Amino acid sequence: MSEPLVVEAVDLRKQYDGTHALRGLSFAVPAGSICGFLGRNGAGKTTTIKVLLGMTRASSGQARVFGLASDDANAGVEIRRRTGFVSDEKDLYDYMTVADIIRFTASFYPRWRADLEQHYIRRFELPLYRVVKALSRGMRTRVAVLLALCRGAELLVLDEPTSGLDPAAAEDVLQTIVSHVAAEQATVFFSTHQIAEVDQIADRVVIIDSGRAVVSGALDDVRARFRRVQLVFEGEAPDVTAAAFRSPGIERIDRRGRVLTVLSSAGVEAVVEEARSLNPVSVDVVPVTLKEIFLESVKVEN
Amino acid sequence: MLWYKSWLETRWRFLIGFAVLAIMACGTIYDYLAVQKLLPLAPAIEPTGELGRRLKEAVEIEREFRGFVWLQWFRQNLTQTGTLFAVLLGSGGLLSRSSGGALFTLSLPVTRRDLLTTRAAVGLTEFFALALVPSLLIPLLAPSIGQTYSIVDALIHALCIFLGGSVFFSLAFLLSTAFDDLWRPLVVACGIGLVLAVVETAAGSAGRVGLFHVMSGESYFRSGAIPWIGMLVATALSAGMLYASTVNIARRDF
Repeated sequence: MSEPLVVEAVDLRKQYDGTHALRGLSFAVPAGSICGFLGRNGAGKTTTIKVLLGMTRASSGQARVFGLASDDANAGVEIRRRTGFVSDEKDLYDYMTVADIIRFTASFYPRWRADLEQHYIRRFELPLYRVVKALSRGMRTRVAVLLALCRGAELLVLDEPTSGLDPAAAEDVLQTIVSHVAAEQATVFFSTHQIAEVDQIADRVVIIDSGRAVVSGALDDVRARFRRVQLVFEGEAPDVTAAAFRSPGIERIDRRGRVLTVLSSAGVEAVVEEARSLNPVSVDVVPVTLKEIFLESVKVEN
Repeated sequence: MLWYKSWLETRWRFLIGFAVLAIMACGTIYDYLAVQKLLPLAPAIEPTGELGRRLKEAVEIEREFRGFVWLQWFRQNLTQTGTLFAVLLGSGGLLSRSSGGALFTLSLPVTRRDLLTTRAAVGLTEFFALALVPSLLIPLLAPSIGQTYSIVDALIHALCIFLGGSVFFSLAFLLSTAFDDLWRPLVVACGIGLVLAVVETAAGSAGRVGLFHVMSGESYFRSGAIPWIGMLVATALSAGMLYASTVNIARRDF
């Protein structure tokens, strides 16, 4: 039986001052998953998160979290009560001390986890009586993560949680999130442009480009779908284009000397069958990395 | 806890305003000693023109301590400085990036209406304290210079200042839902206040229906008539602008 959907976006569109931030974005995040939301800068990741949390209204389409419409003011309150959020800029109140902002945030969440609060204060070695303004970027991120994790949230929405952190600090934050999710069984939706982070902790991925989801699904399925078929010929490889293949999902064909490489996003059996008709001396099927899938999906030359 | 956040965001403006107005109220009382010494010289002044008439009228009013307090404190110092602090307390990027933490605030499980209502309530309470407490210093300290001043008069004048000044508070509050910085709401609201003051002064007796006239409580001072209609109109104006603020913030994208 499939897991219920915690996040669902259907044909979301958002236009700001003539700019199309979202152009029919659709994806779903099932309960219990860790979903990486990958995209280049300006792809629409932050706008999507703002729409999901009711901070911004979509021009059209539907965003539902826990089955509640995010553009409804009262439903938005319920969504945010059940969601932990870390913003891209680690937006906190500069004038409060760490202890103040923890006490302030805890007051809004009946299911606030005081045990986790103490655990993370010790683990992150947070200076409780220092004002937020005086914290380093890394410390500020740790405070933001603590405030999100202790809410007793069923969903964590993290907008580039490791941005601006050194590798050690980024790893620490990622490990904290993973161990929290393992213990608390929350769903995580995190945006990033760090492909390695998705590879490391996610079990689902949504790749967004120019406001549209270009790849979406379980990470293993996505990896299984994308394959490179390498054909080696005795002489020069034939000059064929994607149109020469009847199989669906041919993303790209590269021709270099005796080697012809076909990248498919819809399985390889039919492609291999067709490729054999070109009489190559060998046919190899090679797995594709997430980085290659991402770069191919967003049409960036590798 | 939203009130606590609002208090932290406005406390310095409030405390500075409180200190300034308290010092000014004390100064007003002890100034009367000097004014008493100068008053015997006043009959020698034979003014001409509108300005002269006003000077003469001011001298006549200030012969009594009650008149001096009304003219110097309620009509001038508290009305002008109170208006400035009303605007200051109402300004300040209510949910803007400039105030810091806007997205964090919006991620809390509260409606935008709750956020604004709490912020407005805290700001208006602070402004009420600014209008009331320094005014109560007058009856409290008057005996120290051998004078008395009615607490009821102080309360009624403070109420006039509060309700009239809340229009400027609400104007700055409304502007702050449209602009993301502290300065534009502040400058625009102060500018409107200045224009209003000039228009009321230029209008002469027609200006007696103006906002600053209500704030000064002149009708109460002269005839004991509390300006209920002016106070009601000011309250309605203020409530209208606060409502418009919630509508404006509810439709905004962040």
